[in-house]
Amino acid sequence: MTSKFRQKLRKIKLLQALASLRITCLGIFLLFLLTLWGTIAQVQSGLYLAQERFFHSFYFLVLGFIPFPGGQLVMWILFINVLAVMLIRFVYSWKNFGILVIHIGLLMFFVSGYVILNTAEESHVTLKEGQATNVSSAFHDWELAIWEAPPERTDGKVIRTVTGVDVARLKINQPLPMEDSGIIIKLLEYHRNANAYAVNDGDSRYLNASGVQKIEAAKLEKEPERNTPGIILEVTTPEGSSHVILYGAERIPTPIEAGGKTYHLSLRLKRYPMPFTLKLVEFIKEEHPGTQTARSFKSKVAVDTGGQWREKPITMNNPLRHREYTFYQSSFSVDQFRNESSTLAVVRNHGRVLPYISTFVTFAGLVIHFAMAAVNTRKRQRQGAPHAK
Amino acid sequence: MRNKLRNLGNGFLLLTVLTGLLYSGNATAQNICPLDTLKPTKVNDLEAFARIPVLNEGRIKPMETFAKSFLLRLSGRRSYGKESALEWFARFIFAPRTTYRDQIFLINNPEILEAIKVDPEKRRRYSWRQLEPGYDKIKELAEVLMDIDEKELSAVEREILRVYSNLGYYIRISGAFAYAFPHPDFDLTSPEIKEKLGLATDRDKFSFYDLYVVTDKLEAAAMVLRGGDVQQWSEEGKTVARLINAMYFWTEHYGNAPFGVIPTVRYEEESWLSPMDIMRLNVDQEAYFDEITHIRNMTVYYWNGEQLQFNIAAKAYLDSVGKRLSPKEKEQYDRFGLELFYNDFNGFLWAKLGYGLAFMFLLFSLLSSRPWLSRTAAVLAVAGFVPHLIAQILRILIMARPPVSNLFETFIFVGLIAVILGFILEWVNRNSLGLTIASVSGLIFLTIASKFGGDGDTLKVLVAVLDSNFWLSTHVITITIGYAGCCVGGIMGHIYVLQALFDSKNTKRLNATLNNTLGILGFGLTTTFLGTALGGIWADQSWGRFWGWDPKENGALMIVLWVALLFHMRLAKLIHPLGVAVGSILTLIVVMWAWFGVNLLSVGLHSYGFTSGIAMGLITYVLFELVFLAVTVFVLGKKGMKI
Repeated sequence: MTSKFRQKLRKIKLLQALASLRITCLGIFLLFLLTLWGTIAQVQSGLYLAQERFFHSFYFLVLGFIPFPGGQLVMWILFINVLAVMLIRFVYSWKNFGILVIHIGLLMFFVSGYVILNTAEESHVTLKEGQATNVSSAFHDWELAIWEAPPERTDGKVIRTVTGVDVARLKINQPLPMEDSGIIIKLLEYHRNANAYAVNDGDSRYLNASGVQKIEAAKLEKEPERNTPGIILEVTTPEGSSHVILYGAERIPTPIEAGGKTYHLSLRLKRYPMPFTLKLVEFIKEEHPGTQTARSFKSKVAVDTGGQWREKPITMNNPLRHREYTFYQSSFSVDQFRNESSTLAVVRNHGRVLPYISTFVTFAGLVIHFAMAAVNTRKRQRQGAPHAK
Repeated sequence: MRNKLRNLGNGFLLLTVLTGLLYSGNATAQNICPLDTLKPTKVNDLEAFARIPVLNEGRIKPMETFAKSFLLRLSGRRSYGKESALEWFARFIFAPRTTYRDQIFLINNPEILEAIKVDPEKRRRYSWRQLEPGYDKIKELAEVLMDIDEKELSAVEREILRVYSNLGYYIRISGAFAYAFPHPDFDLTSPEIKEKLGLATDRDKFSFYDLYVVTDKLEAAAMVLRGGDVQQWSEEGKTVARLINAMYFWTEHYGNAPFGVIPTVRYEEESWLSPMDIMRLNVDQEAYFDEITHIRNMTVYYWNGEQLQFNIAAKAYLDSVGKRLSPKEKEQYDRFGLELFYNDFNGFLWAKLGYGLAFMFLLFSLLSSRPWLSRTAAVLAVAGFVPHLIAQILRILIMARPPVSNLFETFIFVGLIAVILGFILEWVNRNSLGLTIASVSGLIFLTIASKFGGDGDTLKVLVAVLDSNFWLSTHVITITIGYAGCCVGGIMGHIYVLQALFDSKNTKRLNATLNNTLGILGFGLTTTFLGTALGGIWADQSWGRFWGWDPKENGALMIVLWVALLFHMRLAKLIHPLGVAVGSILTLIVVMWAWFGVNLLSVGLHSYGFTSGIAMGLITYVLFELVFLAVTVFVLGKKGMKI
């Protein structure tokens, strides 16, 4: 029955083409080439940019005009190729059992890669000893934040509702109404890395709280953390419309009036609220005796689990896992008063077990296949040619 | 005996200001030591000395290991002429002057010699006497270079920095035991002062140590001078001031020697200091003073050639230090026996010898088919393997960690695995092929490894991220086994090509070799894949991502992709058996790239630090290999074999 179905499938020209072993070879070769190229490119452009250009992309331009397939495209092709082979070409037999398992594992790797690339969130928290937080901030993703200014100076806690818009997803010249406030924003210019200037030839046309009147695109940095973005917005309120500059390095938000209320606008590193609070209890650093080589870092943290604090030391290879969050020791700093603060990387990853499973399956397949091949060869040798004296 | 220099210090400030005229404090190490013409009698048995613990590069190691790495760092050799590293080092530390004419400074680059106007030596090694006149020039050049990013430096510039740092290291350590030598700075003729200070009246020459012992009295004698006018000081007063000033100068001059032999605890941290620093920093403890005295006694007995007394002093020193070690330090100290055995054992040398001889016998067996030749080869290969294995196990025991954490260790380990794979092949096929693989790869990898031991002590501490951890051990070990598998595959590829060159008609033999190659490559693929994925798991555990396209990860992935490509191309009939052989030879290049080529890029999270000389070696190898392949493929093409 299945074979009849496969017979039918085999007649489809497209599937035949997709299941070609030549495509497999080409795909593997391209991936090999991309890996080599993307490694060497890191010397010039740093890990992040090389990663975007060579591995996460569908295609990129060589010398500015020759398109070349990117890692994501090649991996999609390989994924489809493996599936197609499994559908119409593959001979399902015990002899091929190992190979089947290997390729199932590989398919799982592709799926894991896709899931993690599209869902995992990486951010960080930096805490001094004794400090606590329930918000982590992105390493280099920026958001446009809008919130209503508190009515007047108030003591104590102010809870504010912030609307954050991922800057990378804003489209140029597309109006975006902000809920409730009656404000409509439209992105006019966006530079991932920009220089800001206080002077602009002619009249001051832009609203900005820190006096920025001009932004200019700058070359992207090797480390994406060092980019400071700048945007120019058209903000339309019931009162009229105005142009606003926001710059990533600003300390204060830009206020804007709308419908008798004041709203604050700011361009800031994306914030991720966490459904619990994390506190740094103590940070400890050890060195190998008589050297500057660090032996270990340790952050003692506590997590608020519904009113109860659970303490846990985080060390280099020993992270804290809580719900779908994982906290890793990332770096630390000591200020001039010898106050230590610790930076923890926060990863929220629903798919983190996927590569583990894929690894296990693929490895099992490899072992099965090559062990069986070895045994078979040995058998053949025994049968074919007895030991020559 | 207590509070010695602290009290002295009170007088110092005043006195140094006043006596600047009496003593011009402008000497350097080489000018201070008086023993230019004298020769020590020396002691012959340094066994107790070899066991003295030294804290160096984050690890407590026996003096012998320190001596070896010291000499190796300076001269690139493990011994000096007929003297062992330990014998030479004992002469250096107890009688530094006697080493000033020893040609121990390796300078590879003739341009440096031109810059300091020294005639090049054939052996590229120079003595302190030769280099001393040019030292200031080297210092000048080096100081400019220190502000420049290391990556920007040319080979000559790096060499200048290396030579400068070696010279400095030599000078600073040379004075570590200077406090025990008599010196003109402390000459004292006046019997009254000697008596006053409680010094021996029958001699005029004293050492820093002699005066340090009587600091209290010296200080009392100096009290009289306080507040007085320097012009009206008596001769006695001037002498006392001279002595104190000299002592002060000595503590400054010989302080901070990078030679931690006396364990202390400062600011709650283990910190090992040189004897002079103990005296200078005025760390109060009876035991410290005893230890300083034992070292001083060792120096004296070394000079006098009194073996028994020397041993007693060394043992007394070891006793005193041994008692004060923290449990963690004690653990390392207790493994000294193993380490000294490892040092003496020279396992890798014996292993190389065994493999080399085995290979020779295998070559002979090509000429004549007498079975005893290959049998002897088998015995020799095993004779090489045993010390290789023992030395490897010793290293694991000494360091109490997995065997693979720097380039030197990976070569040793890859060699070991390759030899084992060769033995397995031999066991399966029994046609000398496996033996050839075992002896060739053992010889090659150990030879390369010895090039990387060149920067001194090969047993190194780990940085935090590499600290012993389950995933680290499994990841690094499997990936290294993967390298070994792929390398053996590459060597098999060579054998296939050579067999085809000599006898392309013997298809049976060729097929057997091809099958073995594929089998080994399969093994290499499996272990490399596992190692790569385990690396991903480790990265996920440590940094929160399984895969980040880091250069080292990419390198490992490239091996996997390359071997997978070979298998698939064979399946798609895009290549013939010769193509598989050529492909497996190229695998070697991919492995080299992953193994240490990417480290040359010096980006990313992985780097086990090493010199740039390797780049040339790598490029030469690749060129050589490509030419070899081009020629053989052309020749075999004429014979009708297709790639």
